[in-house]
Amino acid sequence: MDKMVLNLGPQHPSTHGVLRLILELDGEIITSVEPEVGYLHRSLEKMAESKSYIQYLPMVDRVDYLSGFFYSYAFCNAYETLNHIQVPEYANYIRVMFMELNRLASHLLWLGTYLLDLGAISPMFYTFREREDVVTYFEKVTGQRLMYNYFVFGGVRHCDIYLDEALRIVDNIYNKIDEYEDIITENPIFLSRTKDIGIISKQKALDWGLTGPNLRASGILQDYRSIMPIYDDLEFDIILSSEGDCYSRYIVRIYEMRESVYIIKQCIEYLQNINLSNVPLNNFYHKQKQHEGEIYSFVEAPRGLTMCYLKSVGEDTPYRVKWRTGSYYSTQILKDILKGVYLSDVMSIYGSLDVVLPEVDR
Amino acid sequence: MVKKIYLSIKAILKGHFTVLKHLFRNSVTLEYPEVHPFLNHYFRGRHVLEGCRGCGLCKRVCPSDAIMIEKNDNNYLNKYVIDYSKCIFCGNCMFYCPTHSMKMSNDYELAKTNKSQLLTDIYYKGV
Amino acid sequence: MNYLLCTLFEIKWLPDIWAVILVSVIGFGVVISLLILTVLFLVLAERKLLGFFTQRKGPNRVGLWGVLQTTADAIKLLCKENIELLSSDKFIFTIAPIMAFASVILLWCLIPYNSEFHLINSSVGVLLYFAIASLPMIFHFLAGYSSNNKYSLIGSYRSLGLTCSYSIVLMLSVMSVIFLSGTMDLDKIVLFQSKTWMIFSNILGFLIFFIATLAKLNRCPFDLSEAESEIVCGYHTEYSGMRFAMFFLGEYAELFVMSMLVAILFFGGYLPPFGMYLANAFMGNCEFCSYFIYFEQTIWLFIKTLIIVFVIIWIRATLPRLTQVSTLNMFWKYIIPISIFNLIMIIMMRALW
Repeated sequence: MDKMVLNLGPQHPSTHGVLRLILELDGEIITSVEPEVGYLHRSLEKMAESKSYIQYLPMVDRVDYLSGFFYSYAFCNAYETLNHIQVPEYANYIRVMFMELNRLASHLLWLGTYLLDLGAISPMFYTFREREDVVTYFEKVTGQRLMYNYFVFGGVRHCDIYLDEALRIVDNIYNKIDEYEDIITENPIFLSRTKDIGIISKQKALDWGLTGPNLRASGILQDYRSIMPIYDDLEFDIILSSEGDCYSRYIVRIYEMRESVYIIKQCIEYLQNINLSNVPLNNFYHKQKQHEGEIYSFVEAPRGLTMCYLKSVGEDTPYRVKWRTGSYYSTQILKDILKGVYLSDVMSIYGSLDVVLPEVDR
Repeated sequence: MVKKIYLSIKAILKGHFTVLKHLFRNSVTLEYPEVHPFLNHYFRGRHVLEGCRGCGLCKRVCPSDAIMIEKNDNNYLNKYVIDYSKCIFCGNCMFYCPTHSMKMSNDYELAKTNKSQLLTDIYYKGV
Repeated sequence: MNYLLCTLFEIKWLPDIWAVILVSVIGFGVVISLLILTVLFLVLAERKLLGFFTQRKGPNRVGLWGVLQTTADAIKLLCKENIELLSSDKFIFTIAPIMAFASVILLWCLIPYNSEFHLINSSVGVLLYFAIASLPMIFHFLAGYSSNNKYSLIGSYRSLGLTCSYSIVLMLSVMSVIFLSGTMDLDKIVLFQSKTWMIFSNILGFLIFFIATLAKLNRCPFDLSEAESEIVCGYHTEYSGMRFAMFFLGEYAELFVMSMLVAILFFGGYLPPFGMYLANAFMGNCEFCSYFIYFEQTIWLFIKTLIIVFVIIWIRATLPRLTQVSTLNMFWKYIIPISIFNLIMIIMMRALW
């Protein structure tokens, strides 16, 4: 039988960027998939080799513009560990708070766009409404909405954070998550589009290197937050689901948002009890000699494990920077799990993996 | 089976009434040209330069090579040009300025009709 | 219409055949102007309502509260270039949008707007309606087929698959209405409901008909033939300019006319909901009042229609899209048996009654 080759992307309404999927269709059933990436390559790794550490720091947010704080943290952490810079405790708490807020914003955007892929219009606007609050808060504190440049080597830029507003925002989001669930979670149409669709078994998830919520939805208990030292004093649960289908990935993310709210509240509680008004600004130019060595730092980003490899040979610029991002591995697995599904399920599977293309291509 | 159908219809109706609830809420639209968003003083907009000595540290920390500094014969600052087509508003020039002479204002409407107009000399020449 | 025709026949101002043509042209003009006004209003109403459902303001720039937005859009689309692929089938590509729109206009002529204004008054009005109503789908398929685009092709065969499933359901539920009222004349179906509306005696039939209507209109949750997140725009991916506008406006005109049909079949059409005309209630039984009644009847029909349109837009705001497979499953495995069951029940009810 003749097969039709359908070129999904790079410009397609629901590939969230410029992913190209070369699908071979037999009617509406997909027989083979070839994901092709590289349309958004900005050579952020190579760029590091010609820029000093401070010059590269603003670039780091641009690896994934939806969760910039995680990448800033990974890079700052690598540099600090290499150069033995001590980070004060309050700065760690602020970092955790901002990272979790960023996770909220990222998951909210994912939820909205995922439902838009499935054809529901309103939830997208509702989630963007809450995300707008978070992003406006970031703008108020850091100066920009997506490219923050707020974490610096040895702490955060300044400690003038508006804790009351953050508390109001997370309380609001916590209430609104219930509202989203009213619209979506039990909806039979949503269930028919996500339940038992795109099942990733435990072994397959491990084989393809999935991390983060996608892995946890397959029933593997792996959350790098539990071994990160900055999360040591904070209590949170690791959300786990066993089915590994699109629905469990949705559920994991929904409950992860609630956990994020819980973590943020603990951070706010800690920060409200200490005096941050006398903390000096952290704006100084590092003229120190860079230590030699190499380091691989990690952080649990919304889209999976993010690692930053940094090698220094004592010069002002890094010798090599390498990013390991979660989305790249989520894109790879498409080749395996999209085989044999219907064309309309492509979007529900691809959307549920929460791929952000700039992160894939760097 | 009957229970399943009952639950599905209940869920659909619940979703519908949750959406209907929003019909009676105020809109959150910001009507931009008439209403401007609130911007904190940390906002990074157009650069403002006052009392610069021309040490050139900002040029060194700028990630995108957007700053051009021109000095005259007496080693005084003559021109301080920022190329807004290159600037990414990371704020490094402001953060690492040793004399705190670089500030970033809340002005964010930077669109120009011509690329050459984006090359802006922001050095304030006093009387 | 008949009234006007009879007057013309009586005064012998024109030969009879010319009188018929004149009256038809006038009626057709009225219907078309009504259609265009309603569609312009409807597009705006949908955008506004979707805005309100999502705490936005909707279009509010052109004119007061954005009332001229759709007019401006239509003018923009008129001025745009009609892009044609070299490899497309030019003839079908050109006529498909025109024919799709024209068949929707024909549907508008079949509707009894009030007890007088009924352009095509046929004794098999329902049958005629559904015969014509199945035409746009064929032209949607031809549009997708002729534009030589893979997304269009997928969209068009999806719409064909959908047609196979909903049209049976649509006809089965309409048959229950026909059995209850004992006539296929839309006018008589309306008059049959002067005591109780059809929805009270045939609630299951109404629900089935409404679901099938959503599928017929390509509306959410059955908008799979133009699912923008999957197959870009479905059958009209390659269309631009006025040809796209034909599809777009035709879709909305069809939405309104199908909602009118729902109102006619199940909600008493142009009859007032209280069993009494407001004009009569306020002004008594004068001769002048009977002219007001015609207006009132049309207004009642439009109010009922707009409520149904509101529900359809509300559904669009809430529900995600079904897949092709689950739609076919739903229609063939559940809804068709239910509608056959409903039809049998109605026939038995009618026989025993």
